[in-house]
Amino acid sequence: MQIIENRNVKEKLYIEKLKNGLTVMVLPKKDMQKKFVIWSTNYGSIDNKFIIPGEDQITEVPDGVAHFLEHKLFEQENGTNSLDTLTAIGVNANAYTTNDHTAYLFEGIENFYPALDALMDYVQHPYFTDENVEKEKGIIGQEIMMYDDYPEWVVYMNAVKAMYKVNPINIDITGTVETISKIDKNILYKCYNTFYNPSNMIMFICGEFEPEEIIKYVEEHLISDENIGEIKRIYENEPDEIVKPIIKAKMEVSMPMFIIGIKDKIDFGNEDIVKKHMAIEILLNILLGKSSKLYKELYEQMLIKEEFGADYEFSKTYAHVVITGESDSPEEVLKRINEKIEELKKTGINEEEFISSRNMIYGTYVKEYNSISDISKMFISDYFRGINSFDYIENCFTITKEYVEQILKDVFDPNKTVLSIVS
Amino acid sequence: MSYTVEEKKQGIKIHYIQDKKYKTNLITMFITNPLNEQTVTKNALITSILRMGTKNINTQEEINKKLENMYGAEFNCGVEKLGDNQLLKFYIEVLNDEFVPEKKKLLKESLDLLFEIAFNPLVEEDGFKKDYMITEKNSLKQLIESRPNSKDQYAFERCIEHMYKGSSYSIFKYGKVEDLENINEKELYTYYKQMIEEAKIDIYISGDYDLEEIKNIVSNNENMQNLNSREPKYVVGNEQGGSSPKESPDKIEDKMDVTQGKLVIGLNIENGSPEKMYEMAMYNVILGGSATSKLFQNVREKASLAYTARSVYVRQKDTIFIRCGIEIDNYDKAVEIINQQLEDMKNGIITDEEINSSKNTMITSVKTIQDEQDTQITYFIGKELSNEKPDFEAYIDGINSVTKEKIVQVANSIKTNTIYFLTNA
Repeated sequence: MQIIENRNVKEKLYIEKLKNGLTVMVLPKKDMQKKFVIWSTNYGSIDNKFIIPGEDQITEVPDGVAHFLEHKLFEQENGTNSLDTLTAIGVNANAYTTNDHTAYLFEGIENFYPALDALMDYVQHPYFTDENVEKEKGIIGQEIMMYDDYPEWVVYMNAVKAMYKVNPINIDITGTVETISKIDKNILYKCYNTFYNPSNMIMFICGEFEPEEIIKYVEEHLISDENIGEIKRIYENEPDEIVKPIIKAKMEVSMPMFIIGIKDKIDFGNEDIVKKHMAIEILLNILLGKSSKLYKELYEQMLIKEEFGADYEFSKTYAHVVITGESDSPEEVLKRINEKIEELKKTGINEEEFISSRNMIYGTYVKEYNSISDISKMFISDYFRGINSFDYIENCFTITKEYVEQILKDVFDPNKTVLSIVS
Repeated sequence: MSYTVEEKKQGIKIHYIQDKKYKTNLITMFITNPLNEQTVTKNALITSILRMGTKNINTQEEINKKLENMYGAEFNCGVEKLGDNQLLKFYIEVLNDEFVPEKKKLLKESLDLLFEIAFNPLVEEDGFKKDYMITEKNSLKQLIESRPNSKDQYAFERCIEHMYKGSSYSIFKYGKVEDLENINEKELYTYYKQMIEEAKIDIYISGDYDLEEIKNIVSNNENMQNLNSREPKYVVGNEQGGSSPKESPDKIEDKMDVTQGKLVIGLNIENGSPEKMYEMAMYNVILGGSATSKLFQNVREKASLAYTARSVYVRQKDTIFIRCGIEIDNYDKAVEIINQQLEDMKNGIITDEEINSSKNTMITSVKTIQDEQDTQITYFIGKELSNEKPDFEAYIDGINSVTKEKIVQVANSIKTNTIYFLTNA
C-alpha cells in the first residue's frame, strides 16, 4: 500500500491497487461524524465510440448512454430500487455523470457497512429490462427539459459548441430526447460490461476509518473479476481552431448572460497540468478578479453585475478557460478583457499582485479539506485527469511570475476566443 | 464541539462554537429585523453599500486586496428571509492560522474587518457615498429584475406571494424596484444608524481557537464597543400567520417562455404549533422529503412524469410546498397523483417502512449538521429566532417519539391553499 502525506493540510492518503485492477483510496478523517464513499468508473458522456477488449471492430453508441446507465443501475432484479434501500437505512445516496466519469456515492453516519454492501451490490448487479428502460426515458426526458430552461446551462453549452468541432463534450451529458429514444437494454449491457470492469474503476473512502481494515472489507465484497484490459476509446482529432467566434440564443432573461470561452490545447502526459491550472487561476484573478482594476472599471461603468467569474476546465481530451457574467453589452466586455490581456502581455505582471493572488489560490485549495464530500469528489475527478489532488498544495509556491507570464502568452489567444450570449 | 453564548449587551449575542476538526474559522453575523414593506428594500441596499468601502478601507478593491492577502479569506454579505424576519448576513471564512505558511493572526484580522465593514461605513456629508449609491441602486435593481431567470425559484416565490398576499411573508427579500427611486444617501444613512442601534445582533464564531483570546478581541474591538444595548424586535415562529386554509384551492397560472412546466402546491397545516414540529417534519419527509417519499415514488418512479418531485416544510410558517417540474400537458395527471398521495396519508396509508425510513433520514440529517460550519450556524440562528436552544439529543428523541397516529393527525389538518403553475404562452 502506498501512503502519501501532506504536511500542509495535515492529511494522509492511502492508495491500494487490488488484484482485479480496482484502485481504492482512503483518506482518514478523525472527528467527522459523516463517512463518505464514492465508487466511480472512467466512463463519461464523451465515451461513445470505442473498441471492446478482445474485439477488432469499433462500437458506436447513441449519445447519453453513460448517464442513462447511471439512472438504471439502482434497479435490482428482485424488484427493489437500491436508492430506496440506501435511503431507508438513513444514508444519503446519489450518483452523477460527467463527461469523463460516472460516480455512485453515499454519505451517512449509522449503518455504514450495510450501506456499503448495498452500494457494492447494485453497482455490480445490473438489471435492465425493456420495460424499465422505457420507463426511464420519461424521467430523463424531464431532466433534459429542466436543463433547457436554465439559461446558465444553455449559454455554457453554446460556448462549448462554439469552441469544439468534434470533441464530444459539445453534446449534452444527458443526450437528447432523440438520442435516448434509441437506447435499449442490449446497448446498456454492452456498455456496462465494457466500462464497469474493476480495472477501469476507483473507489474513494473518507471518514474515520482504519485504512487496512476498510480496504480489506472492500476486497472481500468484490465479485472476483478478471482485469479485461485496456478499452480503446476513439476520439476524433480536435482541430486547434474554434468553430465560430460568436454564438447567440434567445431566452427569457432580465439581462443578457454571456460566456467567453478561450480554447486551449492539452498535451496530456507531457506538461505539468497542476502548475498550469494554478497559473491560469492566478492570471484570471490578476486580470479580472474582484481586486483587479478591470473589474472595478467594468463594475463602476455598470458593464457587469457583481457575479462575474472565471475558471479553467480540462480533462485528458480538452482544456479551456470560461469567463461568465451578465451584461447589457457582452461585446464591450470582451473587447475590454482582450485589451487588458494584450496590455499584460506587454507590461508583464505586477509582483505584488502575483504574490497575493498566489496566496489566495493556496487558501482555496486548503479550504477543500473541510468537507469529506468535497475531498472525495475532488480526488476522484483529479484522478481521471492523472492528478493526485495533494499536488496542488505541494506545488503552489513553486509557481513563479515568469511561468505565469509564459502561460499568459501561450493560452490567452484572441483567435481562440468565443463569445456565447443568451438574451 | 463546545458551544458558549455570551450576551455582550442586551440584544447583542456572541455565539462561540469551538471545534477542532476544521481547517477554517467562520464568522457569521446576523442583524435581524422584522420583514416589512417600509424597510425591506433599504436593508437590501445597505448590505450592498457596506461592502463597497469603509471609513478606513475606502474601496471594494482594497477590501478584496486585503482578503486576498489573508490567504483568500472569503467575505460576502446580503439579505436572507427567515420566517417573517429579514436578516442582514455578513460572513468571513478564513484559514485557521495553523494552515498558513507564515505567522499570522487571521481570525483577529477577520473579526476586525467584519466589524469594520458592518459598523464603520464610508460617510460623506452625513450620508453614504454618492457614487456607491448609484452603482448599488443599479446593482440591486438588476438583482430584483433577474428574478424570473431561475424559473423554478420564481414559480416557488410566486406561489408564496399568492398564498400570503398582504402579509409580510409574501415580501421578496430584496424588496421592490419602485422603492429605489425614493431612497437617497442621507436618508438611508440615517435609517442605517437607527437600525444598527435597534436590531437584534447575533455573531457566530466557529472553528478552532482559544476562547479567552477571542473574547478579548471582541471586547476590545472599537466598533463593537460603540454599539449600545437594545430591546431586540423579531418575529418568533408563525405568530404573525398570514395565510388561512381555503375550502377549495386557488388555481394560479403564469405564462413564460418555458420548456417544462413548474408546478408548486402550497399547503396549510391547521393548528400547527411548535410542539407538533416533529410530526409535521416527518409528515413532510414521507410526503416528499426523500427518495423513498410518496411523491418521488409515485410522480417520478411509477408515473415517470417528472425528474424532480419533492416537498419542503417551512417550519416558521406551518406550511409545506410541493414542487415538481413536469411536461406541460401532464398537469392534470400530476395534480391528480399528488392529490391521491395527500388523500392516502389522511387515510393512514403509511407503512412502517416509510416511517422508519423517514426517521433515519431525519436523524442522519440532524447529526450531519455538526460536520459543516455554515450548516450548523444556519441551524443555530433558526433556533435562536424561535427562542429555542439547539439540542441535538432532544431533536433525535422528538423524532423517535413520533407515531403513525400523530402523522395521520397532521395529514388530516392539511388543506391545499394554492395550486400554482408556470406554463408557456
